[in-house]
Amino acid sequence: MKNALLFVLAFSLSASASARDWSTDAAASKLGFSGTYQNEKFEGQFKKFDATISFDAADLSKSKFDVNVDVTSINTANEERDGSLKDKEFFDFAKFPKAHFVTTTFRKAADGSIEADGTLTVRDKSKPVTLKVKFSETGDKATLDVDTKLNRLDFDIGSGDWKDTSIIGADVLVHAHLSLTAKAG
Amino acid sequence: MPIRNTEQAWGSVNKAFHWILALLIIGMGFLGWYMTWLPNAPGKIKIYALHKSIGLTILALVLLRILWRQFDRRPPELPMPQWQHVAARAVHIALYGVMLLMPLSGWLFNSAGNFPLQWFGLFHVPSLTDGENPTLKAIAGITHLILFWVLLVAFILHAGGALKHHFIDRDSTLRRMLPWGIRAEKSPASPTTTTINSAQNSPSTPEVKS
Repeated sequence: MKNALLFVLAFSLSASASARDWSTDAAASKLGFSGTYQNEKFEGQFKKFDATISFDAADLSKSKFDVNVDVTSINTANEERDGSLKDKEFFDFAKFPKAHFVTTTFRKAADGSIEADGTLTVRDKSKPVTLKVKFSETGDKATLDVDTKLNRLDFDIGSGDWKDTSIIGADVLVHAHLSLTAKAG
Repeated sequence: MPIRNTEQAWGSVNKAFHWILALLIIGMGFLGWYMTWLPNAPGKIKIYALHKSIGLTILALVLLRILWRQFDRRPPELPMPQWQHVAARAVHIALYGVMLLMPLSGWLFNSAGNFPLQWFGLFHVPSLTDGENPTLKAIAGITHLILFWVLLVAFILHAGGALKHHFIDRDSTLRRMLPWGIRAEKSPASPTTTTINSAQNSPSTPEVKS
């Protein structure tokens, strides 16, 4: 009985020491974005990414998102455009195959919405980025939706002549939807 | 110059359609080849956008031209051997076919490749496909290229035929389509020209002096 109590105590301590860990169901998750091309909206996604998610709405200080993106998995449903994106003027797959995002702090706004500040690294550029976070949890299952707006020029996506925003708009809206399952323990 | 066709010549509307389309189509032939050789850069995308806008313009003009044809009777054909009538008719059908199918195949290629489409940046033109479709894109691309060669052959036959009528047969086939109206004959009317009107049972004189 005493052992059991100690076990429960130890378990609850370990649980509070870090936020709840979640594993991502890749098939049901999507890292998508939209931009403009010749003033028309287009959508794309990164088909391969790994997300390490620790999140506890009750204890944001222990929450953390750490996401590695395989940028070579980009798909904008346009063969020529996807071909251009691998070039050195854009993502430069040969030199920078990965992008990385990691949170630094989580904040709860007055209206209850949650924001996460973090650092996004694309190519060799690292910039602070703030995500709008929506986390909805039901037992061991959860969905996580994050949104942010990036400026592609901050990350040298489209250098040289491609800085021309009349062809490719500067703003890129990023939306990720993750389907999560709580990790045991 | 009359707006509508007459017994002797094409009206100004038909002439305008003919020569505006001729200029646009010849320009597009050169632009189309030139642009494919450009290095991938924003300038290339802008030239492609121009090509698409002109192509849509051609499609609209051709549709209007076909509509106008329904209300404006063609001038009677000049007398010539039967095989030339048949050949001219075949070339005209080919030209109309290409003028319609070239922009349509381009539009389909653009749609299946999931490219944006605008008319001179003024308004969006809808896609013909539901997003990317590699099979249709390949078919439309090859069709666009084949049509270019059909167009080139038809153009050479059409323009060559017109020049042959003008310089060898010395009839008014080309003159009656010229933008500034029918020119005065510099050489005396050939016997061929005279027979036209008897054949057409027309009371008018063989040549209208302008």
